[in-house]
Amino acid sequence: MIFNSLIFVVFFAMVLFLHAMPFPWRVKKINLLIASYIFYAAWNPPFVILLWLSTVVDWFAARGLGQAEEPWKRRGWMLLSVVASLGLLCYFKYGHFLVENFAHLASLAGFRYVPPQSSIVLPIGISFYTFATMSYTLDIYLRRATPARSFLDYALFVTFFPHLVAGPIMRPTELVPQFEVPHKATPDQLRFGLVLMTLGLFEKAVLADGFLGPVVEQIYDGKAIPGFIDSWVATLAFSGQIFCDFAGYSIAAIGAALCLGFALSDNFRFPYAAVGFTDFWRRWHITLSAWLRDYVYIPLGGNRHGNVRTYFSLMATMLIGGLWHGASWTFVVWGGLHGLYLAIERMLRKQFSGYRPGRAAAAALGLLTFLLVNIAWVFFRAKTFHQAILILGGMFGRNTHAQPVLAGVYLLTTTVIIAGLVLAHCSMRNQTLEAAIARAHPAALTALWTMMAFAVVIQHGESNGFIYFQF
Amino acid sequence: MASSISSSEEIVRDTRQALPSGLRLTAADRPGMAQPVPERDIPQQPWRAMALAVTVVVLLLTSLWEWKMRTLELVPGDLGESYDRWAELRRQVDKRNVPVVIIGDSRILFDSDLDRATQLIGVRPLQLAIAGGSGLPILEDIANDPHFKGLAIVGMAETAYFDLQLTGMRPQKALALSRWESPSSRGSFFIHRVLSHGLAMLDDDYQLSTLVFRLDHNWRPGVIDRRLAIWKAQETSADGQTWLWRRLEHDRRLSERMHSVWLKFFPSQPLDEQTINSVSVRTKVAVDKIRARGGDVVFVRPPSAPDLRTIEDKHVPRARVWDAILAYTHSNGVHIDDLPAVPNLTLPEGSHLSRACATVFTDAYLRDLAGKTPLLHLQPGAPPALATPNCMRPSVADLH
Repeated sequence: MIFNSLIFVVFFAMVLFLHAMPFPWRVKKINLLIASYIFYAAWNPPFVILLWLSTVVDWFAARGLGQAEEPWKRRGWMLLSVVASLGLLCYFKYGHFLVENFAHLASLAGFRYVPPQSSIVLPIGISFYTFATMSYTLDIYLRRATPARSFLDYALFVTFFPHLVAGPIMRPTELVPQFEVPHKATPDQLRFGLVLMTLGLFEKAVLADGFLGPVVEQIYDGKAIPGFIDSWVATLAFSGQIFCDFAGYSIAAIGAALCLGFALSDNFRFPYAAVGFTDFWRRWHITLSAWLRDYVYIPLGGNRHGNVRTYFSLMATMLIGGLWHGASWTFVVWGGLHGLYLAIERMLRKQFSGYRPGRAAAAALGLLTFLLVNIAWVFFRAKTFHQAILILGGMFGRNTHAQPVLAGVYLLTTTVIIAGLVLAHCSMRNQTLEAAIARAHPAALTALWTMMAFAVVIQHGESNGFIYFQF
Repeated sequence: MASSISSSEEIVRDTRQALPSGLRLTAADRPGMAQPVPERDIPQQPWRAMALAVTVVVLLLTSLWEWKMRTLELVPGDLGESYDRWAELRRQVDKRNVPVVIIGDSRILFDSDLDRATQLIGVRPLQLAIAGGSGLPILEDIANDPHFKGLAIVGMAETAYFDLQLTGMRPQKALALSRWESPSSRGSFFIHRVLSHGLAMLDDDYQLSTLVFRLDHNWRPGVIDRRLAIWKAQETSADGQTWLWRRLEHDRRLSERMHSVWLKFFPSQPLDEQTINSVSVRTKVAVDKIRARGGDVVFVRPPSAPDLRTIEDKHVPRARVWDAILAYTHSNGVHIDDLPAVPNLTLPEGSHLSRACATVFTDAYLRDLAGKTPLLHLQPGAPPALATPNCMRPSVADLH
């Protein structure tokens, strides 16, 4: 089930109704758990079994970890959890990719191996809930937390529908305590939750799907060789689309949880106002980058073992981050580019450690960051390296004989939306959305909320899946 | 915080004190520790009054929008080009004995009157044609479905049927949905159908973004004019009855634009022999499979305007394509040229019949086919035959 579908409106109304009933807290939690399984099963019922498997394995692994004293036993339980979680992920997400690459390597070595036709369906959101359950056992292994006392609370943490299929990637320490005591939204929490859901749906249905998606598809899924303008506009449109799609989902998820009285973590903090790539990754998909930092970068050594090890850890983390997004080498290159950006930035920061940029320099560095992020997006969106290189050729003015592809209205709408998005990010880079809203005039806020809600209503149409569902 | 899971509370509280106002910590600010319960503050605003105002104004604006859409002749109950509806119809083949299906492209889709067909042959055909789609993938699909043992009427605008690169994608998408459609998608379609009974505004061709994109008046030289994209052409009810959109029958500006779209859309260079052969072979395989189960396949070629027909005849001449495929598959068919009772039917935008003329054409082709396949019989009490004058407007008919 996706937030921008009609069935979700009915589902969510029923969940809100049940949650407002005077049932005991345990009954309400069971209601939420069942609702979350229905939410997941509405996409493909049999895959609920995977969710159960993931939940149960990590529950028992965590209990084993909690009881074990000897290091080898603890390591054994931790490995069981990691191998089971990553095993599921590898089979469903990377199985076909691994076999294809094996066949390619075999052909290079002179052997002919034809892989069998793969009919593996990628379970929706598997990367998200796998990371969530892994963080549970890893936190206990790293002695940052102790096992949850109630299986119901733990199962609800894994399955809670607002974050289940596309994050924010929650940690058990963030959510389990909320399930231990009764939570019910206050009237203002409910209303503000609805504001956030409206904002999220506006970003997703109107901006990402309605206005930016078609522009991206014309260039990235078309056959024409794009020129300078078309390549840049389509790539800028994709930078807006991916943000509005994913941040839209995150904000709607936060809003949905808030309507029920629960708090989810921030997942975006105006990333297109970032100055530098360290800053960018503190603002973009925060819960994933923090997860990778805590469970990959730091265990690999982080910055505690000299320069070479630091750069290795950085690059390895970003390559894994790239691969997490999809089983394709284009995603690996996207991750590698960001690893490279971060490494260069780190070197420059060391070289010019005393330098503090002024306003103009910070703006120029922010613009440079945005442009380089856009160049990396080409590999994220392009389906093949050939296509990526073709579009990069256009962006660097090399496709001199290209014919115009995008209609004038596409150039206009994309420019207006992206300029508005970047300006909004810049104006709010040092505050939260809530702080900005608190300062706004109620009439202006009402007008904005009305405009967004009405735009969602008249955009309607086919409910497209969220881009991040495939990851 | 009750849970022993959260062991990092103290550390986080210390860090947060250094924050500037208006900011809050995120996971990015807390490396290598268990993350605490997030805090979400509610901004101080008169939310109750604001929510009330937004509800009232959005309802008002939506009502105005709905009124505006109805003035543009959008009608409630129109399901447009919904793949979900098609998938639902396709699944009926697996559930019950379906004696007659119609497959093909938009011409046989818009030009077939299912009520008239029911009156003539006693059964209501299952309409499985897809606008902008070739009938071949659907024919192959039902040929591979052992449940189907009836008659398949294949509508053939030759360009659509043979140019699978242009027209193969839509049927594949629809077929994929008919084989697997998530409960969520089915539920959403059910609600959409209920809503569309009361709301005309739920038309995909009148989405906000589509309307904005259509404002482009050839703004960028060298780019295909946005207004020359195929736009709203059909009106579809839940049972599959589809007509040419009623507004195209009298809005000359729209129908002429649509006509010019068709003239640009159809290729004029001759179709290569290899494509003709491969499509013919695939058709014969499918036809033979259906006949082996006791079913049958017949072909229908609906009309097109003379200027469009000239282009089509260059690309796919009758002798090379229509006559050849009928001979190769040993099939019967009805070509519009062979229906003398219904010449000069009204084609408002050149490619599809007006609603009234679709009834006349359906009457003519079914009467003709009834003599050509044992699976189609005219009802004893069938209404009398129709002819072109039955669908001409009185003023036009009077002129003649």
